Amino acid sequence: MREPAVVHVVDDDVSQRTALLRLLGAAGFETRGYASAGEFLLHPVPDNHGCVLLDVRMPGPSGLDLQDALRRQGVTIPVIFLTGHANVDSAVRALKAGAVDFLSKPVDRDELFEAIRRALELDARRRAEIDEAAELRARFATLTPRERDVLDRIVAGKLNKQIADDLGVAERTVKAERAQVMQKIGASSPAELGALAERVRKLGQY
Amino acid sequence: MPRGSDDSPRCVRSSRLRASGPFIAALLIAGSVEAATVSPRNVLVLHYNSGVLPANVELDRGLRATIESAPDRPVSIFDEFLDMPRFGGEAFDRTLATFLRDKYAAHPPHVIVVGADDGLAFLLRNREETFPGVPIVHVGVSLRFLRSVSMPPDIVGTAATYDFGGTIEQALRFHPNARRLVLVTGTSQFDRDWERRLRSEVSRFEGRVTPEFLAGLSTRDLLRRLGELGEDSVVVTVGYFQDGNGAQSVPRDTVREMAAASTAPIYSVMSPQIGTGIVGGRMTTFEEMGRHTGATVNAILSGVDPASLHLPESVSSSLHLDWRQLRRWGIDEKSVPADSVVHFRTPSFFEQYRREAFATLLLVLLQAGLIAVLMTERRRRITAELTRDTQYTELAHASRLAVAGELTASIAHEINQPLGAILSNADAAELILESADDRRGALQQILADIRRDDLRASDVIRRLRTLLSRHVVEKRKLDVNDAVRDADSLLRSEARRRKVAIETRLLADEVAILGDPVQIQQVLINLILNAMDAVAGLNEERRVVIVSLSHDDGRASISVKDRGVGISPELQPRLFDSFYTTRKSGMGLGLSISRSIVEAHGGSIRVESRPGEGATFVVELPAAERGEPR
Repeated sequence: MREPAVVHVVDDDVSQRTALLRLLGAAGFETRGYASAGEFLLHPVPDNHGCVLLDVRMPGPSGLDLQDALRRQGVTIPVIFLTGHANVDSAVRALKAGAVDFLSKPVDRDELFEAIRRALELDARRRAEIDEAAELRARFATLTPRERDVLDRIVAGKLNKQIADDLGVAERTVKAERAQVMQKIGASSPAELGALAERVRKLGQY
Repeated sequence: MPRGSDDSPRCVRSSRLRASGPFIAALLIAGSVEAATVSPRNVLVLHYNSGVLPANVELDRGLRATIESAPDRPVSIFDEFLDMPRFGGEAFDRTLATFLRDKYAAHPPHVIVVGADDGLAFLLRNREETFPGVPIVHVGVSLRFLRSVSMPPDIVGTAATYDFGGTIEQALRFHPNARRLVLVTGTSQFDRDWERRLRSEVSRFEGRVTPEFLAGLSTRDLLRRLGELGEDSVVVTVGYFQDGNGAQSVPRDTVREMAAASTAPIYSVMSPQIGTGIVGGRMTTFEEMGRHTGATVNAILSGVDPASLHLPESVSSSLHLDWRQLRRWGIDEKSVPADSVVHFRTPSFFEQYRREAFATLLLVLLQAGLIAVLMTERRRRITAELTRDTQYTELAHASRLAVAGELTASIAHEINQPLGAILSNADAAELILESADDRRGALQQILADIRRDDLRASDVIRRLRTLLSRHVVEKRKLDVNDAVRDADSLLRSEARRRKVAIETRLLADEVAILGDPVQIQQVLINLILNAMDAVAGLNEERRVVIVSLSHDDGRASISVKDRGVGISPELQPRLFDSFYTTRKSGMGLGLSISRSIVEAHGGSIRVESRPGEGATFVVELPAAERGEPR
């Protein structure tokens, strides 16, 4: 069972923050409040399901600064901006940097909830991708060195006879090892095996 | 009445000199025929009375001046005083005649001048024994007397006129309410003659006034009676020589006494009495008579046959008045006949100081003109100041609008922050109510927060409205600490937006100034915004604006310091000029208006800056006195 999604509210204005936490709480969201960007960063980057509701203008690092910092750290948690006075420059910058939405205060409840919903969906999707990649990496990790050699040559498009020549073993042995790799990775065809191998290489784990 | 005069020592002395002159001349001409042709002519003047009488002095003055004015002809004038009012009788007459004949044997007169009726009568009686054939010029003889005698042709002269009728007529014109005509005379023979004349004159006024003679009274009684007269009386007199007690006096002195005592105006026909206190009268002055007589003497001396002279029968009289008495008796100057002679007239202030008066008037007019010009100028200046004040107020307002425009982002943020909180709280409350849970405590908290945020938003709006208001400038007592706090709270959001820190260093105690809170705040905002501009784009540690207060010597000073690039010395003098700006936006009015405001508050503003080290703007304002209205 997954941890519930948490909406992180970063706003220096205590009454605004309190009101948002109160509203989101009443709507059934799990919430957590922070008075500044720094306070948010000091806490362990949340690994679980959620999103960040971020005030643009704050003393010290602004909401945009925090967004940059998270991105540099590879934290992919979705960000929704809330601002007292919308300004085209900051909105463009935020959205280019991947913000889910850029909302003006006072914010409409439905608009806010819709943004949070989209953010959480995005978060769920990314999280699912990450989970899949991790499983794939785990499967690839079970391969013996000999089986990896065979996998590399299959992905490179070599035939069993060529692989046997390369490795100096019998063609029949290659055939058995090939079946073993296919089974360990869970691929039904050499094409699927190739696609999976490519994904794992992109994740940098192989 | 003139009877031998020349009472003054001068005249006596001169008479002696003139007496010796021909004597010396006679010695000199003994052996000289030529000299005999220029031998002096002798004029003998027989004064009827003693020499000290004022009438004689006047007459003598006129006579002498006229005779001596004839050129190139030595004339000796001899004076004799017959003293007839007091002395008389056949023996005196004879002795006097003999005396004169013997006395003037050595200097026989060429012309004889004789005064008054009695003088002429004396001469007529004794002419053959004294100076037979010598032409006689009479003066001051009454017309009545002249008509009563047959006059030889070599006795000429003009009769004296004493115009009682004209005098009384004039007096009644001056005093239309007079009902009593009081006539004062004395007891000597001479005085009684006057009384007779007066009685014959006043008869014609009966019916208009009641004549009343005061004759034969003692001086004391007379003066008392005069003092009891009222406004309905007019007094006419010529004075008297002797009163009811037999006391001798001189007419002029008696008139003087009467004038002092009388409660009614006094009129006379005798010119010497002008100045004693009488109002005046119609008269011929004795000086005038003397001049007429002198002219006749001159004619005879130059060889004219007396019989051929056609002299007027009498000298016309003129009205003589004492100006002071006219004033005293309230006689309107307008009622004074134009041809009258007014004595002792004190010139009016204007007449006396005509030049000074004109100069003063001119000065006053110039001054008035100057005052008028200055007043007009002042009004124009006040109007201009009012216009300028209005323009200045308008400009200040426009400048505040510009500042507000600059602050829009911050202000919107400041207002939206509480509005956002309010909306979220309301939404939360709605959700809570939709859920079945009983969470009254949470709802109460939400409502309290909503109320607080609402007040917060309206506070921002209030401050903004104050800043933007087109208010009536009103100075009141305010604490500079509060002024700085207010400006700081208005700008805090903007400072955050620009990532500039505003540091305020307030004073522990209240420091009151007299000022318009909005305008003072405007100055602070202008200075702080400028300082924030100055540090924009610098490293974070330099993006600081320090607002500090100090107080000493009756002045409160507010300094706004930045750590920007500073202001070059060349630019510093132009900083406070209107429309001078180094920024892309802005009208360049901020500092100019700030200076206007500070100066309107009796303070000063200056900048201290060294390039590279930032700038400090210092505003000094006079601290309010204790007890000044808050």
